[in-house]
Amino acid sequence: MADIFNFIFGVVRNIFRMFSSSRNPLNNSLNIFIKCNTGNTLTVGLDPKWDIKDVKNIIAPKLGANPDEVKIIFAGKELDDSIIIEDCDLGEQSTLHAVKLKDLSIRATKQKKCSLLRETVEDEDEITLLQEKNNRDKSHFYVYCSVCAAMKIGKLRIRCSKCKSGAFTVDTDPKSWNDVLKPNKISGHCEQNDCPDGVFGWAQFYFRCAEHICQGENDIAVPLYLLKNNLRKIPCLACTEIKDIVFVFTCREAHVTCLECFRVYAVLRLRERQFVLDDSFGYTISCPVGCENSLIDECHHFKLLTKEQYEMYQKFATEEYILKAGGVLCPQPGCGEGIIVDLKCDKIVCVNGCGYVFCRKCLQGYHIGECNSVDNNISIDNIQHVTDPAKALQARWDEATNVAIRVTTKPCPKCRTATERSGGCMHMICTRCSFHWCWVCQIEWSRDCMGTHWFG
Amino acid sequence: MAALPRRIIKETQRLMAEPVPGISAVPDESNARYFHVIVTGPEDSPFEGGLFKLELFLPEDYPMSAPKVRFITKIYHPNIDKLGRICLDILKDKWSPALQIRTVLLSIQALLSAPNPDDPLANDVAELWKINEIEAIRNAKEWTRKYAMDN
Repeated sequence: MADIFNFIFGVVRNIFRMFSSSRNPLNNSLNIFIKCNTGNTLTVGLDPKWDIKDVKNIIAPKLGANPDEVKIIFAGKELDDSIIIEDCDLGEQSTLHAVKLKDLSIRATKQKKCSLLRETVEDEDEITLLQEKNNRDKSHFYVYCSVCAAMKIGKLRIRCSKCKSGAFTVDTDPKSWNDVLKPNKISGHCEQNDCPDGVFGWAQFYFRCAEHICQGENDIAVPLYLLKNNLRKIPCLACTEIKDIVFVFTCREAHVTCLECFRVYAVLRLRERQFVLDDSFGYTISCPVGCENSLIDECHHFKLLTKEQYEMYQKFATEEYILKAGGVLCPQPGCGEGIIVDLKCDKIVCVNGCGYVFCRKCLQGYHIGECNSVDNNISIDNIQHVTDPAKALQARWDEATNVAIRVTTKPCPKCRTATERSGGCMHMICTRCSFHWCWVCQIEWSRDCMGTHWFG
Repeated sequence: MAALPRRIIKETQRLMAEPVPGISAVPDESNARYFHVIVTGPEDSPFEGGLFKLELFLPEDYPMSAPKVRFITKIYHPNIDKLGRICLDILKDKWSPALQIRTVLLSIQALLSAPNPDDPLANDVAELWKINEIEAIRNAKEWTRKYAMDN
């Protein structure tokens, strides 16, 4: 019965194909690379309406084989003869893999209906949800593409973890992001003749940007796996609007924000220096609700910020890293070069930056002896002409700035960053080193400070 | 002025439609981010019978930043200073965008029921509250009668 149905279906499709191809003869053909396990790569123009059987008919003579002996592999799956090319989500200049079977008997045992690996890596319950909605046109992956320099829709691709060949079929579909992101989770078979792993191997998943023509093997994109299509229609926790693409935090509650609110949140936290430098995840933030274990563990998500904001992110991240490693930042205005220092030596030269020589302790110009805490570090010894010392003091260009900084700021007791108090209470939190200190006492903030002069 | 975010509109509508018992919050006619708030003193507290005026402002970054709230009516409370500034963690570092105007006002109402002299803002008030609670409560009732009634 099934055979009859297939036969009729095939006839109808052939007729349909004849009509459609005669109407627009190959004007929408796809240029596809077909990589053979013999090492050759062929470029062919394929009609999107063709099926895999047609592809095999074209490829087989070039491999010196019968069409029956050829296996077409794409994105970790052997493609069944009846699959139509346009259903495979092949982009222009994608690569298919053709393998000539050595032994037909292997094939017979493995003959099973392969469904295409669709973009269904979600929670298990989400897979059923997806099937229900039959939402095939919607991509479920978002990536950061360095070629487009933007967030783009991505395509999941698979290769052998050893020889990196795409002629690899998986034994099971990945069920979760864990399967995709962690190595050696999904096993499969590598069909590459010279693969050191032979037949059995582990799948390696990677992503391509779906929005530009593939620029070769190394044109891969970083998955932004915290972005999801909002199929469940969850409102953003901040603006309460239901957006198509949402950011899902890694906390147990899986809090959701829209991308716009994520950007606002991230930039706000960045400007307040409220990001944390985590040993494994880098410079990052947690869920806006403040949940435990919710740090964003893939920093490429911050590529969702504007270029300027991302540069600020990188700058702050570098500074935090240097400070954490015991280094200092050059205090010269406009320099700020990070310098890893020898803790035994107080004399620091900004070697790769402006060349300024300064004291590690007080961050003023280098001096011998104790640091001058406040004033009196102005020397007028080298003034040749007779001038009124008081007037000379006032007439110094930098001095006005220095005085202004001295009058309006106090250094953080821990990292000595000059800090201005623009209002509010006396409880200061250093924006650079996060130290809590008291504006009045200039020591660590305490309950006493809170009790006696919190608001001055 | 940018358009009012939908979240603020929704919160305002809900505050109007289902007001929190004992709390009224009405947006200013000329500025929808500025609310005139009246909190009634909770029963069995020294503030019972009083009507306390507050102002609440939603900053540009709201709800990523906390609302700014201040008592306008004078109040004798260890966590509220003479300028009406409130010591409440959710208005500072414990703020989260999942909180709302409604939850903030409920917390303030709860603060009136349960003063916390160990986390003081008005030091003299807190001091007295710890040393001589009876006198402190008498003062609080006195202030309530003087500043929060019949106006």
